[in-house]
Amino acid sequence: MKHLASRAGFGLRPAQAERLVGLSPEQALAQYSPASNDSGPAFKHSGIFDPGLDPFPPSRPATTEMAKRQGHALGIKVKPEGNRPLQPIVNTFFYWLRASRLETDRISYWWANRMLSSDQPLREKTALFWHGHFATNEDKVRDYRKMLLQLETFQRLGLGNFRDLLIAVAQDPAMLVFLDAGVNTKDAPNENFAREIMELFTMGVGEYGEEDVREAARAFTGWSVSGLDFYLNPETHDAGQKTFLGEQGDFSGIEIIDRILARPQTSMFIASKLYRFFVQDNLTVAGAEQLGARLRFHDYEIGAFLQELLVSNDFYSSAGEHIKSPVELVISTYRKIGLESVPGAPDFNAVTGSLGQRLLHPPTVAGWSEGRSWITPSLLFERGNFVLDVVSPDLNFVPSDRYPTLTPEVARVQKRLRTGMSVSQATKPTGIAGGEMAQSNALADRDEAFNTRLGSMRGWQMAIERVIPIPRTFARISLAQQVSDAHLDTPLDVVMYFEERFFETPLLPGVREEFAAMLERELGSREISNTISYAEEPLRLLLHAMLSRPEYQLG
Amino acid sequence: MKRRAVLQNLAGVSLMGPTLTSQALSTQRGAAFDAPILVVLELSGGNDGLNTVVPFGDDDYYRLRPNIGIRPEQLLGLDDHFGFNPGMQGIHKLWQSDNLALIHGCGYDDPSFSHFNSMAYWHTGAPHQGSEYGWMGRLADAMVSERQEDMLINIGRSQSLAVKSAVHTPLVFDDPERFQRRGQPNSLTPQVAPVSVRSNRDFLLAVNASARASSARIRQAWQDYRPEADYGLVSMDLPKVAACIKAGFATQLYHVAVPNNAFDTHVQQSALHRRLLSYVSDAVYGFLQDLKAMKQDHRVVIMLHSEFGRRPKENANLGTDHGSANLMLVAGTPIQGGHYGQSPTLVGLGEGDNLRYTTDFRRVYGTLISNWLGVPVNRVLRGNYPSFGFV
Repeated sequence: MKHLASRAGFGLRPAQAERLVGLSPEQALAQYSPASNDSGPAFKHSGIFDPGLDPFPPSRPATTEMAKRQGHALGIKVKPEGNRPLQPIVNTFFYWLRASRLETDRISYWWANRMLSSDQPLREKTALFWHGHFATNEDKVRDYRKMLLQLETFQRLGLGNFRDLLIAVAQDPAMLVFLDAGVNTKDAPNENFAREIMELFTMGVGEYGEEDVREAARAFTGWSVSGLDFYLNPETHDAGQKTFLGEQGDFSGIEIIDRILARPQTSMFIASKLYRFFVQDNLTVAGAEQLGARLRFHDYEIGAFLQELLVSNDFYSSAGEHIKSPVELVISTYRKIGLESVPGAPDFNAVTGSLGQRLLHPPTVAGWSEGRSWITPSLLFERGNFVLDVVSPDLNFVPSDRYPTLTPEVARVQKRLRTGMSVSQATKPTGIAGGEMAQSNALADRDEAFNTRLGSMRGWQMAIERVIPIPRTFARISLAQQVSDAHLDTPLDVVMYFEERFFETPLLPGVREEFAAMLERELGSREISNTISYAEEPLRLLLHAMLSRPEYQLG
Repeated sequence: MKRRAVLQNLAGVSLMGPTLTSQALSTQRGAAFDAPILVVLELSGGNDGLNTVVPFGDDDYYRLRPNIGIRPEQLLGLDDHFGFNPGMQGIHKLWQSDNLALIHGCGYDDPSFSHFNSMAYWHTGAPHQGSEYGWMGRLADAMVSERQEDMLINIGRSQSLAVKSAVHTPLVFDDPERFQRRGQPNSLTPQVAPVSVRSNRDFLLAVNASARASSARIRQAWQDYRPEADYGLVSMDLPKVAACIKAGFATQLYHVAVPNNAFDTHVQQSALHRRLLSYVSDAVYGFLQDLKAMKQDHRVVIMLHSEFGRRPKENANLGTDHGSANLMLVAGTPIQGGHYGQSPTLVGLGEGDNLRYTTDFRRVYGTLISNWLGVPVNRVLRGNYPSFGFV
């Protein structure tokens, strides 16, 4: 049951274990699957969007060029005369970059809380899978609204039919922006979108030729976004004859998708990826073919396929083989400790980001590599350091969404301005004293119509004014109470109790005893019942040491 | 099956053969202070080579790129035919001081237009063959056949396939200051790294052993280091490499990257591409200046590559799409600067209107493997790759 909880969800809560005792695999799985569509509160918007911000220009230079050309940009007019006439526009440009990013961080928190508190976490687990599969990044999309919309699609359709999901994603505003499909016209078909649909989303490389990429790109021309809505622009859509995967016809984008779905390779590709995510890394070609056949048997119904997969022998024999992703590690640690909500400190996004999996910011369109790529020498330490930050609140924690800890130059500019320096003086770049200055530093801010460093600072100010802050609560933990309730006798019993609750795979031989000796030293006693009143600190030390182990990374 | 057999044969080979050069011998001794160093800087996303080193003397360039083609007067001239992108002042200086080799037309047969596949081919140095290990990983295995810490340093969030080795555990880190276990010192008996890393469990135990062995030294190196050059706005992790070199690490192979397909410029590429190149150029120039200041520049060579170039013809969105043949750059004091290889022609393009490659990219790898690191090329790459004379 622990295994099912780890893979179909995000680990067992302390009280949950008893409820699952004695259930058959099918009965247990039923506890994880959504019984209804209601899965918690909706995201609460801060209200940061203003008309004029969408479509958002691709860069700061593009914004200022546009403003010079047409007299306005981002819904703001150029000042007719005076100092830095484009400054308000540049400020707004940086405002939206910052505000959208901060709001996206709030979406991650909202999602993380659903993962943590849902009693039917398979929906969120599957949404996480699709987020890695159909990967888009807010850094490029630059609009939290589109990121939220996409995530809601994964939550709503993730356990439904793959065809519905694929079409929804292919017409999803975040995806269209991310793959530059918003500028996909019959005079200039965009290959990026067509290529990634085939390479990463459905068939994998080697199943189509470059000609198929070009022809598919023609079929997707005219697929456009206006704000948050998809529309097909008949003016720019190429309705002509195409040759795709050996067939000819005046295929539409949907017809291309149906031809892709008809390929057995697509079912193999998707089924194998689900298998690797939910079961284990190793899969033979024959195994992949078998899985593909099962997915086709279920007519691409993901929920039905997973129901079968998650009660299979393969599934139950793969316990402890999987390297937990950073999000799995963080959420399952919180669940196992018994937290009701995701703490504000440590910051969920900073932690998962430093471990390599910042939600809504996958590194590329290929998503996260999963498996062993989650682990490097440095990241293994970081995983232990995360546990330390949970069991031992960091008094030096500074929320980087309210204070520019990561971009201190922003704060320095403000500080200089407040001492009465002129804008040019206050924003002068600080290079290496006496040395040769690099080109990028020397060339910053040549344009007198605006000052980007000033704009960056103002954008920060405007954003933190409007984005709702993330509550910075620390985890409230009582290990001593839990140990007391469990009626344990010796330090070794405590180690085994934690091992049972937190680990999916046993500790190396001898390690358990060393932990018990360490706890005994800290407690100054072998009789646990006598130590409860002061055991909290030693127990936290123990838990930190245990959860820093390499074995804890396996699920 | 075949490749596995080849790799097994390689793993058992003794290095003490007659072909061994003095440079490889110094590696063999371990921490030889003067051992040659290779730094690889990867530009992920497909850098547009034609707008990096612009063939302004070729009218076809402007015919193919009427909007995003860079005018001659904006370029930093190399000669009467080529000019650098205006963002590349630093690299231009390296050219002028004769420390930059440009290798034209690098690619491989039947090119992949997938970022991920093509990059894997460059990482393994084995296009269309599949190799479990990276070319730098195999190079490390050929240099030292017994497991040794610090053989390969890979600075980045996750490990690159390029450094994946059958023998060594690459040291991978991002932020040196975070590369430590915080909290009470762990009193557990240190475990010896398992010999095989077949299971995920053994893999984790091996990484754990490597982390414990290296973290303090990396942090110390970083704390002791002060840059003596301006690396520009985005330093590409090169100061971290400089810190390791300054601290006297025995490491000879470093891998850094501009990650996340940053160079994938499909739309409105001009300003963005120029900016990216200025970061790269500043960082590379700053790095070499820094090495000069610490008198280590004679032993360091840096190679820049991308997974593919971009299509010669611009697209309708003022950008470029995935292409094939591309430039490689190799820089450093030991480098004999100049043009190498043949620049692909812009007329009579190959399949999909892409450049026909003129140089197998493994010739550049091979040159560095043999001429710079003193390892026989056939220990690392399959096939014959005549060396260039740039080093």
